Amino acid sequence: MSRFLIALALLAPIPAMAAAPGGVPELPPYQMRAAQPAGDRLQPGRDPKAVFEHSCGYCHLAGGMGSNLLTKQMMMMKRPPSDGLLANRRDLTADYVKAVVRGGKGAMPAQTRVDLTDAELNAVAAYLAQKPGPKGGKK
Amino acid sequence: MKLTLPPRVGPQSFDAALKAFAGVVGAGWVMSSDADRDAYADAYAPGSPERWPASAAVAPASVEEVRAIVRIANEYKVPLWPVARGKNLGYGTAAPRMAGSVVLDLGRMNRILELDPKLAYAVVEPGVGFFDLHDEVERQKAPLWLSVPGNGWGSVIGNALEHGIGYTPYGLHARNLCGIEAVLPDGDLLRTGMGAMKDNPAWHLFPMNYGPTWDLAFSQSNLGVVTKAGLWMQPAPETSLELTWDIPEEEDIGWVIDTVTPLKIAGVIDQNVFIPSWLGKIVVLGTRKDFWDKPTAMPEWRVKELLKQYQLGYWRVSIRLYGDESVNKAKAEVIKAAFKRHLAAPAMEVWWRQGDPKPPLDLALGTPSAVPLQMSDWVGGRGAHLGFSPVVPATSEHVMGQLKRSRKIIADHDVDFYASFTIGGRFANNVNMLMYDRDNAAQVDNMKKLFNALITETAKAGYGEYRTHLGWMDRVMDTFDFNDHALRRFGEKVKDALDPNGIIAPGKQGIWPSAYRALQKEGAE
Repeated sequence: MSRFLIALALLAPIPAMAAAPGGVPELPPYQMRAAQPAGDRLQPGRDPKAVFEHSCGYCHLAGGMGSNLLTKQMMMMKRPPSDGLLANRRDLTADYVKAVVRGGKGAMPAQTRVDLTDAELNAVAAYLAQKPGPKGGKK
Repeated sequence: MKLTLPPRVGPQSFDAALKAFAGVVGAGWVMSSDADRDAYADAYAPGSPERWPASAAVAPASVEEVRAIVRIANEYKVPLWPVARGKNLGYGTAAPRMAGSVVLDLGRMNRILELDPKLAYAVVEPGVGFFDLHDEVERQKAPLWLSVPGNGWGSVIGNALEHGIGYTPYGLHARNLCGIEAVLPDGDLLRTGMGAMKDNPAWHLFPMNYGPTWDLAFSQSNLGVVTKAGLWMQPAPETSLELTWDIPEEEDIGWVIDTVTPLKIAGVIDQNVFIPSWLGKIVVLGTRKDFWDKPTAMPEWRVKELLKQYQLGYWRVSIRLYGDESVNKAKAEVIKAAFKRHLAAPAMEVWWRQGDPKPPLDLALGTPSAVPLQMSDWVGGRGAHLGFSPVVPATSEHVMGQLKRSRKIIADHDVDFYASFTIGGRFANNVNMLMYDRDNAAQVDNMKKLFNALITETAKAGYGEYRTHLGWMDRVMDTFDFNDHALRRFGEKVKDALDPNGIIAPGKQGIWPSAYRALQKEGAE
């Protein structure tokens, strides 16, 4: 049996669970990922949003494992739950994204260069880091 | 991770092999830096991931490239460890059993070659993940459903070849494979079943060969590299009805098994029925310290408090029916009457009908998710898990015996008890989930001792595991001891005949080629 099946526990509503310490906000519906962009994955110029959705979206779209864990962490730090989505973050740097993707973090395993090529990672890292902070400029 | 060369391969020869691989796939798809070796390590390794180090990885994009790589590997005596997507978390991830093997990463071979809604099957390459196939089915609006395991991040073919299990009527994933293509250890190419005839349209429809049938000889196997496979899929049902009961007491699992099994064997219930114990419901709600802040196992009184607080039973049974509404209603009456003989509480009933959105994260509706991996957050730190997974006959006698035995051993090692039983027909898979912090050496050491004790005592009682982590592949193979380990002896004979250089996945599931048999004890827990 797959030993990851714990999440089945989430399937049927249990009223008291909303009050659980690490309770995650209501789960959004399944989100389709973008298809992997065509072309040479080793060359620069990959579509960063599509690559992010395709290669990181397993866990980092709404309702994904990474989003859920980050949402919990953000709430514990008194930050808005929406910051659990990487696409909403305003405090990331490209180097930080690269370090986490290649080195792993907490429950996230390191990603190989087949998961995400260096060209794709460069594109995704720049995409996640490019958003200005609340007062303008990168944070 | 530092470089560990394959056994008996010198640095120059290794370098020449990598250059030859690069000549096939391009330099960008041969990965041999320290960072690459880290990325192919076992992410959930109990202890140091350097215990099962890859020397490099190579990623082909086609069956012809796989064949060329296998020939080069034979030439340079460089062993390959094939992975489909390398997401076998809890069993070794992408890491090889034998130190210094080169990971043959098939993740780039990710084409969905056919999707046939009429005869309900797909033909896919190993790099196709559950998410990929699901999304393509949705894009094409094909009336087909997947059966997904807990970790949908992984490969459809890889999971089936590893004997993974899902929770729909198509939940025994290896049984869904029909007609495979495999590169043999000498680089030859085989197609099984009707595919052995050129262009036979029944390749992925008739599940046997003319003569001996080899499809599953390539599962949990080191006899070849599967490069494509047919996969039977479930036709999308008109409706689905879920019946859920919370089962109050630990001992109740006995009557639950004796109630569900005959209904499953008779076909009233089609799906694999998953029955998790209480911790399965708590583990996703927070981290362990939110519920019990001591390092010792959670005591019974605290478990009882939590069950009361969260209105949970010790076990939870959800039975999902698939098909036309009238058929599901009739089946539900039979099942409810059977449960009523033991439990007064009515089932919670939830209908799904074509056109309704599927509830998020419902694996029994074939929606892939990686969210179950959240459980690694339970212990805090860099959480990880091992699963001890014996198979027992699906009767109360065997299930209760297994439950009591493993529960005592787990308690003796002062570890929280979290078990599930999945009734797949005449058998039940019992998974005992052991969660630990990878950076807590004492905890890891305790888990290893516990795991060994579970294997030994369960084998003494007459049961074996269906799947295990790299470090225990040999120990579990040792437990299959009929006629002086005839299974292993047979496996070794076949291995040596097909793969005299021992190039493909040496040590996989405890089958060692003679070329490397002396290394069996390395990396074994």
